[in-house]
Amino acid sequence: MRTRFLLVICAIAFGIQPAIADVILPDVNAKYVSLTQENPTRDAGFVVGDVLNRTITLTIKKPYELVKESLPIKGYEHRYRGQISGIELVKISTEEAIHIDSVTHVLHLRYQIFTTGKLAKPAALRAEIIKLRHSGSKEVVQYRIPSYGFRISPLSVFGSVKLKEEMSPFIRPLRLDASQDRLHLEISIGLLSIALLGLLYIFGMHAWLPRMGAPFAKAYRDIRKMPNTDEGLQKAVARVHISLNKTAGSSLFNSNLADFLQKKPAFTPVKQEIEKFFTLSRQVFFEPNALANLDESHKVWLQRFCRHLRDCERGLNPDLKSKVSY
Amino acid sequence: MSDTQLADWRNHALTLELEVNKVVVGQENPVRLITTSIFARGHVLLEGDVGVGKTTLLRAFTRGIGGGYQRIEGTIDLMPNDLVYHTYLGEDGKPHVSAGPLLMSGENLSVFFFNEINRARPQVHSLLLRVMAERTLTAFNKEHYFPHMLVFADRNQVEKEETFDIPSAARDRFMMEIPIVVPTDAAIMESLVFDTRFHDMDALVASVPEDLLQFDQLNTFAARLQNSITASPTLRSYVLNLWRATKTPTDFGVKVSGVDMNRLVLSGASPRGMGMVLRAARVNAWLNNRAAVLPEDIHEVFHATIAHRLVFSPVYEMRRTEIAREMLSAIINAIATP
Repeated sequence: MRTRFLLVICAIAFGIQPAIADVILPDVNAKYVSLTQENPTRDAGFVVGDVLNRTITLTIKKPYELVKESLPIKGYEHRYRGQISGIELVKISTEEAIHIDSVTHVLHLRYQIFTTGKLAKPAALRAEIIKLRHSGSKEVVQYRIPSYGFRISPLSVFGSVKLKEEMSPFIRPLRLDASQDRLHLEISIGLLSIALLGLLYIFGMHAWLPRMGAPFAKAYRDIRKMPNTDEGLQKAVARVHISLNKTAGSSLFNSNLADFLQKKPAFTPVKQEIEKFFTLSRQVFFEPNALANLDESHKVWLQRFCRHLRDCERGLNPDLKSKVSY
Repeated sequence: MSDTQLADWRNHALTLELEVNKVVVGQENPVRLITTSIFARGHVLLEGDVGVGKTTLLRAFTRGIGGGYQRIEGTIDLMPNDLVYHTYLGEDGKPHVSAGPLLMSGENLSVFFFNEINRARPQVHSLLLRVMAERTLTAFNKEHYFPHMLVFADRNQVEKEETFDIPSAARDRFMMEIPIVVPTDAAIMESLVFDTRFHDMDALVASVPEDLLQFDQLNTFAARLQNSITASPTLRSYVLNLWRATKTPTDFGVKVSGVDMNRLVLSGASPRGMGMVLRAARVNAWLNNRAAVLPEDIHEVFHATIAHRLVFSPVYEMRRTEIAREMLSAIINAIATP
């Protein structure tokens, strides 16, 4: 007894930890303990001063019971290889629920970071070791709550840093150089858009495209909607007259057609058709007995004629040979 | 009227045109207009510079029409009675009275040619007004009728000394006022100067066959012709718009450069004037072998039948020929049909 007392005194005097603290207890059989844990939602980007909350739920089956004195203590500074890790448990609270054959302990652990570095570095919420006691035989065993690894980042970038190795949350992830591919993609989309617009321009019926609001484009759309009756024909011919007058800038008649074509040579390809149109107009409005000499339905011819005018209006060459009705 | 009759008369008319065009070269448009007037039974006033062929043109037509032909020269001392009778001392030493140019041919008078009409006094114009409008004259206590008479007149628009402006009421009696300008074609100009055929006017006019038309049937034929050529509702609407535009050109966006359009027109075309437009347009359609009037027919005669009827503000009167032409062209350009 005396010898033992002297050993303790010597140990205190020379800073030696008591041997009893280093005693390694056997692990509890895993079937007696079940564990669930709630860890921080991210594992990187923490800086000095940040707080990490961790909730551990332990269910310990009988005959084992928790030695509450073995729970981690607030303010305890964890060391790793003799160095203070800089992560401190700042708060612990527990809840307990007793069941028939087990007891559930909920541990709320709050850690705070008191360390930083020039580069991001790995860190961990330490693995807490708790003790369990056998209620019948006084046997004591231990259970290891697994650690939680994360990264601590510096508050700012220090000195020259290899960005590829830098894990600071303030630096955006480095991206592969896709500018060339992006350029190719944009050119392809542009070409595709132009091609589509071209198709719409040629075949489209909408007024929002360039020159789609021009006189003959409008007339073409209007004529398509007009009924194939005598009244509809009159309206259609009058509609073309309006567009011709608008394009010519004055009332256009057969007598001043040559002047019109001189001013607007784009319409020269349809000169004969315009003359035919005036003959048709003459028949419709002035001289019912006059023959328009059209070898097809007036409506169909007028529609195609108007389309040819529309093509001329857009600087396109009208397909005069085609007999297709649009 | 049968198509054959229309075609026969058309052939006569075209032959007359052809013959006159041989005599007066480079004036196809005035020749067509005068032909139109003859068949529309309207009087014609020619306007142009000195020596451009106005008189020759009218004489050539006169010869082709046939019937009685009388001519008088407009002078400042010409009095109305000079058109009706002459007084002279006969061989017997006694005063005698003989019929003047208007009465000399009686009812067969087909063409009364008034040369340089603007040199005559307004009193003469006044007499002429009645004769042109009513084709009658009261003289020697008797009413004289000239049912086939057409008045062909010309005036020199350049010379203003000792001339009298023809009042608008007198101008309105003329169906057409036709400007005669020197042809610009180099070949025609050369032939007019160097071809001796054009130096002897009498011989030139004599080359036109006489009596190509039957003057005493022209009235009947003209009336039938007017009934044969139709005017559709669209055309009627077009003509009415043209008429309105001559009265209020600003309503139709008509502009003439350098002219205040709000002050320009004091009076537009008269109902008689527009009626004459239609008469002339019908004849033009017939001459072009059509049975209905087209806007183009109206255009062909519009300037000639309307320009001299417009009454402008005095400030613009000096430029009336130029302004009237530009305004009427703008009206045709502005009014659409249908």
